[in-house]
Amino acid sequence: MPTPNGLAVFATMLPTTLLVALAAVGGLLGWLRPGLPASFHRWLGAIALVGAAAAALVAFRGIALTGGVGLAAYAGGVVADRFSTFAELLMCGTGLLAILTSGAAQERLGSRLPAYNALILSATAGGTILAVQVEMGMLVVGLGLVVISLIGVVAVEKTAEAPGVAAFRSLVSAGVALALMLYGLAIVYGATGTTNLAEVRGQFVHTAPLEGLGLALTLLGLAYLVGAPPLHHWMLQVASASGGAVAGSVVSLAVAAGGIALVRVTVSGFSATMHPWVVVAGVLGAAGCLYPALLSVVAGSVRRLIGLGACLQGGLVLSALVGSGVGRDHKPAGGVIALLFSLVVFVLAIQATFQAVARLEADGFGGSLAGVRGLARRSPMTAVLLGLGLAGLAGLPPLGGFLARLLIASSAVAGGYAWVAAATAAASAIYALMVLRWIAAAFVEDDESAVVVPSAPRLASAIGFACAVFGVVALIVAGPLLYAADGAASVLR
Amino acid sequence: MSFLAQTTTTTTVSGVTFPTLVLTAMVWSGVIFALVALFLPNQTQDQLRRIKSLGSTGAGAALFFAVWAVETQVSDASLGTGGIPGGDLYEQHSWLSSFPITSYYHLDVDALALSVIVVVSVVFFCAGLAAWRNQQHVKLLTVCLLTLETACLGILASYDWVLFLLFWTLAIAPVYVLVRAFGHGHKARAATRYAATSLVAAGLLLLAAVLIAFQSGQRTFDMGSTPVTLPGNGEAVAFWLITAAALLTMAVVPFHGALLDLEEDSTGVLSAIFAAVLPSIGAYTLVQVAVGFFPTTSGSFSLLFAALAVVTVVWGGLGALRTDDLRRLVGHIGTVLMGLVLLGVAGHTTIAITGIMFLLLARGLVIGVLMLLASLIQEKTRRVRISQLGGLAWQAPFLAAFWVLATLAAAGVPLLAGFAGDFFIFTGSFPAHRWASTVVLAGTVLASGVLVWTAQRVFFGASRDTFARVRDLGPLELIYIGILAGLIVLIGVVPGHFAELFQNGAGYILFPGTT
Repeated sequence: MPTPNGLAVFATMLPTTLLVALAAVGGLLGWLRPGLPASFHRWLGAIALVGAAAAALVAFRGIALTGGVGLAAYAGGVVADRFSTFAELLMCGTGLLAILTSGAAQERLGSRLPAYNALILSATAGGTILAVQVEMGMLVVGLGLVVISLIGVVAVEKTAEAPGVAAFRSLVSAGVALALMLYGLAIVYGATGTTNLAEVRGQFVHTAPLEGLGLALTLLGLAYLVGAPPLHHWMLQVASASGGAVAGSVVSLAVAAGGIALVRVTVSGFSATMHPWVVVAGVLGAAGCLYPALLSVVAGSVRRLIGLGACLQGGLVLSALVGSGVGRDHKPAGGVIALLFSLVVFVLAIQATFQAVARLEADGFGGSLAGVRGLARRSPMTAVLLGLGLAGLAGLPPLGGFLARLLIASSAVAGGYAWVAAATAAASAIYALMVLRWIAAAFVEDDESAVVVPSAPRLASAIGFACAVFGVVALIVAGPLLYAADGAASVLR
Repeated sequence: MSFLAQTTTTTTVSGVTFPTLVLTAMVWSGVIFALVALFLPNQTQDQLRRIKSLGSTGAGAALFFAVWAVETQVSDASLGTGGIPGGDLYEQHSWLSSFPITSYYHLDVDALALSVIVVVSVVFFCAGLAAWRNQQHVKLLTVCLLTLETACLGILASYDWVLFLLFWTLAIAPVYVLVRAFGHGHKARAATRYAATSLVAAGLLLLAAVLIAFQSGQRTFDMGSTPVTLPGNGEAVAFWLITAAALLTMAVVPFHGALLDLEEDSTGVLSAIFAAVLPSIGAYTLVQVAVGFFPTTSGSFSLLFAALAVVTVVWGGLGALRTDDLRRLVGHIGTVLMGLVLLGVAGHTTIAITGIMFLLLARGLVIGVLMLLASLIQEKTRRVRISQLGGLAWQAPFLAAFWVLATLAAAGVPLLAGFAGDFFIFTGSFPAHRWASTVVLAGTVLASGVLVWTAQRVFFGASRDTFARVRDLGPLELIYIGILAGLIVLIGVVPGHFAELFQNGAGYILFPGTT
């Protein structure tokens, strides 16, 4: 890959630098000038994220100088290519949603709102590092930044004991995940003698059991972020304990960053033709779909149902990886395209559902089945938002989640893993059935409680509705989104 | 990028070229009206009436475009192009071209689809009229019915697997919500059982679609080119995946329980829709998709279908004989008629497939009328059991007359809609499956006998004081029952209007390369 270094450094690191710098500025201003209005910090964060997205687009123009191949900097440790542009835009978009919906968490966060916004920015910055890294050191830095920032976001909500406990447990899980990943990477390094992921595949002459273990451990550690079993409990904890806006931000950023990291490390680094990690991804993906789907049968609260839905999306992301290579007909199976399309759809569905949870909190309703019963009469807009969000998580048509599942299943079959497709289909059916039960409770069953006037912040609600509506639009105009995903995936083949 | 670029058919009117959008308009009109209804207020009676009007208009619009589509194809039938895909109504636009398996927004219809489209659009229109008296959850009922109609019409008009699956799964949520909202008895169990069955069917169809897309080497979800050739035992696997999904939805034995529960635990209008429309969608999937994609494979399993037909008809007939619930009885009769569809598939001849088309057209209308009448009887007499009824013809002569008419049509009496279907199916299947055809005929006679006996028990005999205040059909009820009954007679009197269309379509299903 050609390396015109000045331009390459600029192209690869500008979005991250912008985000980190403005996170620091926001955090400092919050500390030094506590009287600044919350809206100032919100808009500062929004500007940082829009700026980072614009920088990613500028870098995309710069890629044209290399004939569309990409720009590499720091001895090939970071690259700017079409995948990194897609991934950075996804991260910035997710971060923007998190910042703009922070109004819903304002009451819970109080004076810690600047810190919250700064942590969202730094988590996004971590995600942008994951988008451009192709080196083990940068991977660890990016992943660490994302994980620590997100745990900080959970911990900063100190109004109740539960979020603190959730943050601590997430920290423990993150420690285990990072340790697993580091062991895995150490084994891979030992086997190949290089820390550059782009060179790893060339060094693997054969995949001995120990090397396979290294790949598997790395994958297991990375699966933590997307909430796939066995390290999925943190996501359920956060979904159940944190406020709706906070949980939505944390979970959506984690899924987006996790998906990006998985693609970069496994597809770009290990190569889709390397059998051991693909099998592990298939097993983890199938388990990651079926386990939360089965747990959803006994979910007693809407928060837990959403949390399990988010874990299910993590399982789907891993399932998409098994189709990241070529099919038996030696043509691309399309797993990465399906995964990137799915990430966009999943982030929106997660945000929409958690905004509905935030509205439930604001309206004073519980999240149990009894609390949701008759919601359409008491608070129609909350019911619509919850219904659309849950339908998106469950992949019910006409939402984009449906197409995402179809593409994932197709690519899994194309990759020769029909059993993974069967598992995702079965899990999706079970979860959809449970979601229908809750939707019916909200829209069909009567409740005599008084009708409430929604008290959730308008901007946060509008963002939630926009996410839900885009879930529908994503299906209708899936063409352009898939076109972009195809462009991003093409550089990884 | 050629996203949503018009690629094919256009219509020229007075020198101006328009894209052909009849099928798009037919499929989506329901959901467009549903979206409008969703945002209308629903507090006062006037507002509720407005929502109901919108619902009826939406169903009416779909019916209008359905009639347009049918008549276009009927007029083309004499030229040999009606009743087969690729005619005047063909629509294809690029949709998912960037994924390794391409997908198109591809709508088209053949004769079989048209026969079910008539049923769907008429039954939904009549159901919309029948729902006028409902005062509960008016907006929910309107939105769900219109969405369900869009889903059903979408399944029938889709010629792309992604679209087909999209509409298939789109139908599940409205049915579930409607049963939960308007059902009684074990409504939660019935709704969940049906949704689970449909989701399993959707999963099977998904696997079949992916298998076909990859094994055929075409890498497309388009359903336009038949027959499909797959290597190894791929054809048999894909055929049985689709067939299993269809059988689950057709309510044939042993998968009939979910639909019977659904019909029994829903309100009258919904029962009519579920009984008339949903199994027909399954039958369409079996004949059009499974048989149409794999005509040779389906022919090799003909004996199995004959056996299944025998079991379904006998079991359904005995079930009808045994039940004391009027609506469940109609459900069993529906199952018996689906057994005839299986016999037609077993027959595997152009005549038998033509018969299936006539039968599906007649079955939807007849079962729709019977279910609506059964619900009206239960509602007017406040009795559920047949044994509790009797002598109603004195108080409700129109009710009795329509029931008898529908009973005769179900029995396959000439000059009524059921005759052509029964005649062609038996004629087309008898040479290949003499014993099975004979047993199925006996089962059909048994079911018809049960219907006649039920008419005797419910309507005739001495007038009862208990039912002295039972009122006959009102003007609105006469309109929607009259529309369905009128069509039963009309199709029975002039079956030739559809004959050429259906023959073309049947030939295309069994011998796609030669038509």
